[in-house]
Amino acid sequence: MKFSWFHLMPYRWLPADFRERYHSVWVDLPNALYDPVRGHGLYNEYLDMLEYAETMGFDAIGVNEHHQNAYGMMPSPNLMAAALARRTSKAMLLVLGNSIALYNPPVRVAEEMAMLDVLSGGRLIAGFPVGTSMDINYCYGQNPATVRDKYREGHDLIMKAWASREPFPWNGKYTKLRYVNLWPQPIQKPHPPIWIPGLGSIETWDWCVDHAYNYSYLSFSGYKRARKMLDGYWERLEERGAEANPYSCAFFQQVCVSDTDASCEREWWPHVDYFFNKCLHLYPGTSEAPGYRTEASLRAGVVAQAGNTNQNMGRNKTWKELVDERYIVAGSPATVRQQLEELARSLRVGHLLLGLHIGSSPIELTNRSTYLCATEVLPHLRPLWDEYEDHWWPKALPAAERVAAGSYNTAVRATVERPSHDGGEPGRDRVRRRDEVRP
Amino acid sequence: MTTNGGANGTARSQLVHLGSERPTIEVLEAGEGAPLVFLHGAGGVPLWEGVLPLLAAHYHVYAPLLPGFGRSTGLECLDDQFDLFLHTFDVVDALGIERPYVVGESLGGWIAAEMAALRPRDVGRLALVAPIGLWRDTSPVEDLFGHMVHEMVPLLFHDPTSPPAQRMLALTELFSDKDDRSEEQIETLIGLARGFRTAAKFLFPIPEHGLEHRLWRITAPTLVLWGEGDRFIAPCYADIFGEKVAGACVKTIPDAGHMIGLERPQPYADAVIAWGSGGRP
Repeated sequence: MKFSWFHLMPYRWLPADFRERYHSVWVDLPNALYDPVRGHGLYNEYLDMLEYAETMGFDAIGVNEHHQNAYGMMPSPNLMAAALARRTSKAMLLVLGNSIALYNPPVRVAEEMAMLDVLSGGRLIAGFPVGTSMDINYCYGQNPATVRDKYREGHDLIMKAWASREPFPWNGKYTKLRYVNLWPQPIQKPHPPIWIPGLGSIETWDWCVDHAYNYSYLSFSGYKRARKMLDGYWERLEERGAEANPYSCAFFQQVCVSDTDASCEREWWPHVDYFFNKCLHLYPGTSEAPGYRTEASLRAGVVAQAGNTNQNMGRNKTWKELVDERYIVAGSPATVRQQLEELARSLRVGHLLLGLHIGSSPIELTNRSTYLCATEVLPHLRPLWDEYEDHWWPKALPAAERVAAGSYNTAVRATVERPSHDGGEPGRDRVRRRDEVRP
Repeated sequence: MTTNGGANGTARSQLVHLGSERPTIEVLEAGEGAPLVFLHGAGGVPLWEGVLPLLAAHYHVYAPLLPGFGRSTGLECLDDQFDLFLHTFDVVDALGIERPYVVGESLGGWIAAEMAALRPRDVGRLALVAPIGLWRDTSPVEDLFGHMVHEMVPLLFHDPTSPPAQRMLALTELFSDKDDRSEEQIETLIGLARGFRTAAKFLFPIPEHGLEHRLWRITAPTLVLWGEGDRFIAPCYADIFGEKVAGACVKTIPDAGHMIGLERPQPYADAVIAWGSGGRP
């Protein structure tokens, strides 16, 4: 199995009476609530958490894209991934992802992802979500009736731009370009692995099968409720004659690890409560624009009540309910180990995206959980699915060929930082050494 | 096939096929006399009621339903708003009507105005009833796609306690959190979503596509009707239509919100009929 440490980056200082005073955490929440100075600390704290996850041996570190909200402060996941690319060297960069239809022209996504892949030495996993309706329709004004068509066209353009070694024209319905000619192109050939986040529609499953993409099921309802949905996925793969390879599927699960089950509740409940009752406080009026879901998905959703943004989201539940119903996997390392193994086996997933930061949790608590998870939980799960090959993982440059940040400066410092030859007086007209610059 | 309007009588329904890989359109029809083409708003024509039977007492009313509403299909054939306007001419042509009196409400009012601007010689007379299509930052049109039903009702109706307002409010139960909907409710919900998808295709996120710059092209005698208590599109927009459409007659109706056809059908019908006979309402 492989494990990604995934950050949502919520804003930490929503007021205690947030739910009473505001109707949503998304779309039209006034940004007067956002304090950029606190935000400065928070971005750096959050990036530290992701960097710590790399040092603890997580296979990938993950970021995503959302707009106009306090739930996740990454309108540009690529900026976060760029920051991480320079400060990390081993972990893969899971960018899950860029909502293709928002970018005009979509080659911008191809360019930035190629930049990330080159910068990181081929460590990029490229996620292509359609995006939530809140993000793409209400915040970014995309037409709900046509956005999926636009997404598909954008995808085709990006893939062709990555594959082509010659300029080509693109005469699409949504994008018209006389010259598509990508500089740079990604290191990974034919392209970085593609992961498609979805909420359980057959169309998306078929699309992943057709293109050999990873299907990532992202929900906050936990693995018990996901079972039915992913059973459908595996059945569909069988119908389509595709290999039931666990690595073709990723699953997101929020996890808290502490010394004991009791200490876990004591330490984590305020932050879990913050997440389920503040970060997921959504206003149904702007949750889903008409036409965002296909009629087939809508019909399935109405009947099954699955995947609907306001259903089963863990609101107003107690710690015990959230734990018992597996919205969260929480407790001592032994408890978490047992439940994650049950999760992986029952869902048959090879990629687990772990939400080890939850709601308002600070770095000390988060890193402790990350540490316990890495040292006392994951080693027991790693061998699972060893008999399968992971076709959905980056083919990065070998570690020895990857350039470490700062190594070029180190290599040349001694020859650069020396006096000039023009005979100028000491202290004038010469390059000053770094230690001389300081007072 | 008929659409039941209860005590108001019924409308006949026919399907008009516009050709291979073209939309198929359900047209509701009632009454006798000169033709009047009625273009519905974003809610469609769920019942033959309100102003419709009153108009049908004087005119042969044709009410074509947009793709996604009723039994009409073919939204995928209409890429943008100009396809939509030309499509509506296609329907009029297929019905064999020349230079009709076109009455449009809200979304339909926008389509009617654009048709009259696009092909001025093909629209005989025009009544725009609280049409969308214009925009002023000082008075934004409410978001048709960003409210819950119980919030829409007071935006659409002057009197939210009136029976038609309460009937719309009852749709709230379709959006229940519980998984207890009847088959009929599910079909109603899917039908609503299908119609709203059509509306969203042309109106999301801002229902303005440059009509104001084309209003001068309209030559048809134009009546502009507005509910005095319209909280969805403020009556100040009536003045812009009045100013920019040559010879337009603006009339506001008291005790009416955006849904004039349901709230105040008689003065609405009287004004449309008077305008149709060449008089001023």
